[in-house]
This record gives sequence, C-alpha cells and structure tokens, in this order.
Amino acid sequence: MLRDIDLSGFEKITAKDLPTECMVSSGHRACQGCGEVLAMGMVTKAAGPNTIVANATGCMEIISSPFPETAWKIPWIHVAFENAAAVASGVEAAVKALMRRGALKDRPHIIAFGGDGSTADIGFGALSGAFERGHKFLYVCLDNEAYMNTGIQRSSSTPYGASTTTSPAGKKSIGQHTQKKNLPLIAAAHGIPYVATASPAFYLDLMNKVRKALSVDGPSYIHIYAPCPTGWGMPGSKSIEIAKLAVQTNVFPLYEVVGGRFALTKKVAKPQPVTDYLKAQRRFRHLSDKEAAFIQQTVDGNLDYLQRLVAATNPEPAKAKKPKAKAAPAKKAAKKK
Amino acid sequence: MTRKSPEKIFIKGNEAIARGAIAAGCKCFFGYPITPQNDIPEYMSQALVEAGGEFVQAESEVASANMLLGAGACGIRAMTSSSSPGISLMQEAISYMAGSEIPAVIVNMNRGGPGLGDIGPSQGDYFQSTRGGGHGDYRTLVLAPASCQEAYDLIIKAFDLAFKYRNPVLILGDAILGNMKEAVSPWKPAPVDPAEAADWRLEGAKGRGPRLHKSLYLHEGELAGQNKRLQEKYLAMQAETDFELYRTEDADLVVCAYGSIARIAKSAVRKLRKEGLKVGLFRPVNLYPFPSGPLAELAGQGKRFLTIEHNLGQMVEDVRLSVRGLADSEQFSVYPGNLPLPDDFEEPIKKALAGK
Repeated sequence: MLRDIDLSGFEKITAKDLPTECMVSSGHRACQGCGEVLAMGMVTKAAGPNTIVANATGCMEIISSPFPETAWKIPWIHVAFENAAAVASGVEAAVKALMRRGALKDRPHIIAFGGDGSTADIGFGALSGAFERGHKFLYVCLDNEAYMNTGIQRSSSTPYGASTTTSPAGKKSIGQHTQKKNLPLIAAAHGIPYVATASPAFYLDLMNKVRKALSVDGPSYIHIYAPCPTGWGMPGSKSIEIAKLAVQTNVFPLYEVVGGRFALTKKVAKPQPVTDYLKAQRRFRHLSDKEAAFIQQTVDGNLDYLQRLVAATNPEPAKAKKPKAKAAPAKKAAKKK
Repeated sequence: MTRKSPEKIFIKGNEAIARGAIAAGCKCFFGYPITPQNDIPEYMSQALVEAGGEFVQAESEVASANMLLGAGACGIRAMTSSSSPGISLMQEAISYMAGSEIPAVIVNMNRGGPGLGDIGPSQGDYFQSTRGGGHGDYRTLVLAPASCQEAYDLIIKAFDLAFKYRNPVLILGDAILGNMKEAVSPWKPAPVDPAEAADWRLEGAKGRGPRLHKSLYLHEGELAGQNKRLQEKYLAMQAETDFELYRTEDADLVVCAYGSIARIAKSAVRKLRKEGLKVGLFRPVNLYPFPSGPLAELAGQGKRFLTIEHNLGQMVEDVRLSVRGLADSEQFSVYPGNLPLPDDFEEPIKKALAGK
C-alpha cells in the first residue's frame, strides 16, 4: 500500500556541512581498500554519536574488535551470525521501556549491521520478523556478495557468474549459477516506511539515505554495495572505481522506496556496458562473451523492472492530473494508446 | 582399517575428511561457511560433484542439518561439517535424527568458545558431543581422530556405524587437526551395499504401505517403547570401543587425553620416558561409547591417572566414572584460546606422578 511517510525529522547533509566524526576509528584491521568498512564509517558519520549498534558476526565485527582493542566509539554489541535484527529488536524494546520509565531522555538511534550472508541467508528470518513487528531501527546490509570473512564462499547474494570457493568456475561450471537474491525488494515487500540502496562511491546520497532512514517512525533498510578487493580480485585502490562502475553499468542501481513509492536516486544517462564492470574483477574473468551478454540482458531486465515499479508506484501526480483531466481527458488517453 | 594404499598424499585433516567421505560412498554434502572447517565444503563443492554426488550450500546450519535429515531418510550416505557455533545450531536436527533413527555423519572441527570464542583449537564441545547435545534422551557415536590418517580412516568408519545403528555419528576434531598437513594413505573401502537401507528408506510407496520416519509418539506407552528400543540400541553400541595405549604396561601414571591434545601429551610422555619416568598414555578414539572397561583394567593394576584436556575439565568426568572405586584422576586444563606445547605438560605430569 502506498502511504505518506513523515520525513519532517530528516536533516539533509550537504557537501558543505559534511559530518566528519567517524564512529569507527582508523587502525581497524580491514583489508586495504575495503569498501565495506568505508561504507560503515559513512553510516556512523550520518548517524552521529547517539547511536547503539548491533553487529552480526562477519568481517566488520572481526576487524573492528580484536580483543582487547576496539575501533568503535559508540555503544556496540556483537551478536551471532543469524540474529542482528533480533538483538536490535531487543535493544529497541529496552530503549522503549527505559524512555517510558524516564531513565533515558534522548532516544538513541539503533542500527543493526550485517553482511550479505548474515542478512540474505542465515539472518533472513530474524530480519523479516523485526520488520513485521515494526521496531524503530535501521538495518544496514553491507553487501560484498559472498562470505568473505570465512574465505569467499558463495551466498544467496553472490551474483550470477561469480567464482567463489564453493561455487568454483571450471570447465563444467560457470561459477555461481543462481541469480542474486533481491533483498531491497523483499524488505520493501514488508511495507516498512523506508528502503534504499546505496554505494560508498556516492557518499552524500548514502549519508542522506541514512538520515532519512533514521528519521522515519518504524523499521528502515539500506542495502549498501560494498566492494571487496580480496574476494573480488581487484586492487584495493579500485574499490571506489568499481563501486561507481556498478552504478554506471546499472548492475547496482541506486533507488529508494518511501512508503511504497519507488524512486531512482541516481539516473544513469549513458550506461556503460557491464563488460567494463566484469573485466575489472578476477571473480568474473572466466566468463565468455556469450555469458557476459546474458548478464547484460539480466541487468537491463532488472532495470526495466525497477523502472516499471517507479512508474507503477508514482502515478501521474494527483494534483497536476485533476485540472488537466477537466480539460481534455479523452484526447490524452487516446494519445497514450 | 586395512588395505592401506601404497600411495601417500600430503593433505590437511579437513581434506582427509572430505576425501575419506567420498571414498566411503558419501553422495550428499550439506554445508555452511564457518572457520576452521571451510576446506571441507570447498573441496566437496568440486570433488563430490565430480564423483557424482550433490553439494549444497545451505542458508544456515539449521538448514544444512535438516537437509542432512532429509537425505538420510532416503537412505543415502550424506554428511555435513561445521565448527562449534554451527554445531550448536544443528542440535535440534540431531535430536530429531536420533529420535527418528536416521543415519548421518556430522563433523565438528571444534573451535574456542563459549559464544563465538575464537577460531583456534579447543575441546570445549566434549560434553555437547558425548551427552547427546540437543534435547531429549539420546546418544550419538563420537569418534575423535588424532591424525590426518585417522581422520581419513574414521570418516569411513563413521558412515558404516551410522548405517549399522541408524544413528547420527559425530567426528570430533579441532582446528589443529583440520588445518595441519600430514601424509595420508587414501585407501578405498569396499563399495557400499546398494541395499543397505532398502527396507526403510523413503522412496515412494508404489505397491506397498507407506514408511514413516518420525520422532513424535503420543499414544500411551508408545514413546516409552521407543525410548526402551533406543536404550537397547545404545547398549549395543557399547561394543564399539576404540582406544590407543602407549607405554602403559609398566607405567605408574597414565595420562588420559584425546584428539590433538593426545598427540601433544604423547610427545611429553615420550620425553619423560627418556628421563626414566614411568608414565604412559591412554587415548580414547571413540568418545562415545567411552572405553571404560580398558581404563578400569588399568586402574585395577594400581595405576594413577591424569586427564589433560583443552577445556575446563570435561572428559575427566568419564575417566573418573570409569575408574571409580579403584582410583581417581587428576586433571589439567589448557584454556581454549591457548595453544599448548609438550613442555607445558611435563610439570603437571611430574606432579601427578609424585602424587602431589
């Protein structure tokens, strides 16, 4: 159902007033060029210090908390692989109770971080449950498209054709032979107030999406594209370039869904061919031209589907339509046909 | 365990498990990533498929264990592997498999705990493995290899035992065993009898009545009958004892240890023997059923005991139960998170030998 979402609490960030305080300090142990920790830092910059983080097991947990050190400047709880959304639900319930009792004055933001394995696979049930119950929290999926922390095993978020250690490419195998699970769409299907995709290559867009997500009353979901030099087979210096390419090739379109209304937040005027994207990464190196053409077809089809969702959920603005309808409704309908 | 092939390959314990499973006729592998056992699913994702089997990566350990239940119910040789936190998630399915008598092989490359612990070796899952692990009254056979060759040998034995008793069988290794490399002779067991599950597997009911696999018994007396049957099975399993003795004949003190820690303890015992100390080693290979009889025999000869474990003291309870009325056992813990050297065991062994 389409509904209006109150975004009056949304405080927009511009390049001029970019928050600088990152709640994940440097000195953590992420690989060089890790796009995931970069994106996570941006999320915390947008959220600010009054935030509680529930972090599922994964790269981000491992690299930010080798005992007795920590990279976290905000309250942080590490949880098992499958339950970041459940623990965040518990935190949210406790915050509610504390606020009611007057023990907590300033409501903290609650953010759950999970990787793609944690979100799309093992934590999927907990995520769906938290969305359905309507807890006011933001779930951020940092998607590097495989289980990188354990050594690059496929997940249901691994794209078609990618070679991983459990979907190895070879004479009889194309690598991953299934299509990437569409998590943002599944999140949107829960009817939660705010869903978005974001990329660290478009940091202002990413941070503003976080701000919007935190301003709504209820659950929100942001799916962030997180380049992994180690797992994807590319130089660490190329992370942001690849992240940009993913958007410019429409492999990873940036959009948001507010109250059920889809909107593309970065329209690509002249998309680059997906081969530009595929050739830059070792995980796709084995793909033939024919397979690349199939991937291009899928990318085009997915974008077309998204555009149809945008059109379907944004009918001609009601205000503009009404006066026109008085003028010449029949003519317009005929023209369209 | 005969028919060793003359060929030797230099592989990790994890790979020995995977190769041994394929040699044993494993046709389905269900897995989920977790360190330190990832080499097993990674190897299987290619080699098992080439061997005509099915490799499935599940969305969680809950799913992989229940896939194993589904495949086992069809009478096929199937397995999963994981490490401690993942094995915890599998416990419900393992209880159901024991309750509905479905054969399965589950490999646990034990890592440090509790919680997420670390990815290093530990023997913290001894209780969970040998006491059932999930809810209800049941047991799983538990085999604990101490070398890469033994990992290869025992995974083959595990499949045979699983089908012999229609019961889940656990292989309990650790991060040391999984990740160290040793020379292994990859022998081939006799081919699997195609009729090994012919009278109970799920395969369609054309021309006969349906077969039911279940663990729910609501009619009066039904569950008690099933539990009695299960107990009889667990009693029959007691014949499956397997253990290693090292220089125990004239020993005054017998060190009890299993798995990787037994290898390290053996080095300490060997060194102390050179110093003239009368110490030996008792290594249970099967942790359930625990080789109580042979231990009691040693106790009857007046020997003393020291149990060394990579946990806070778990197997020591089984050692004490085995020798009760005759002797007791001292206990020495290596805390999970630490890696012991043979030298670390010398002082506790000397102390126990002196009766201090």
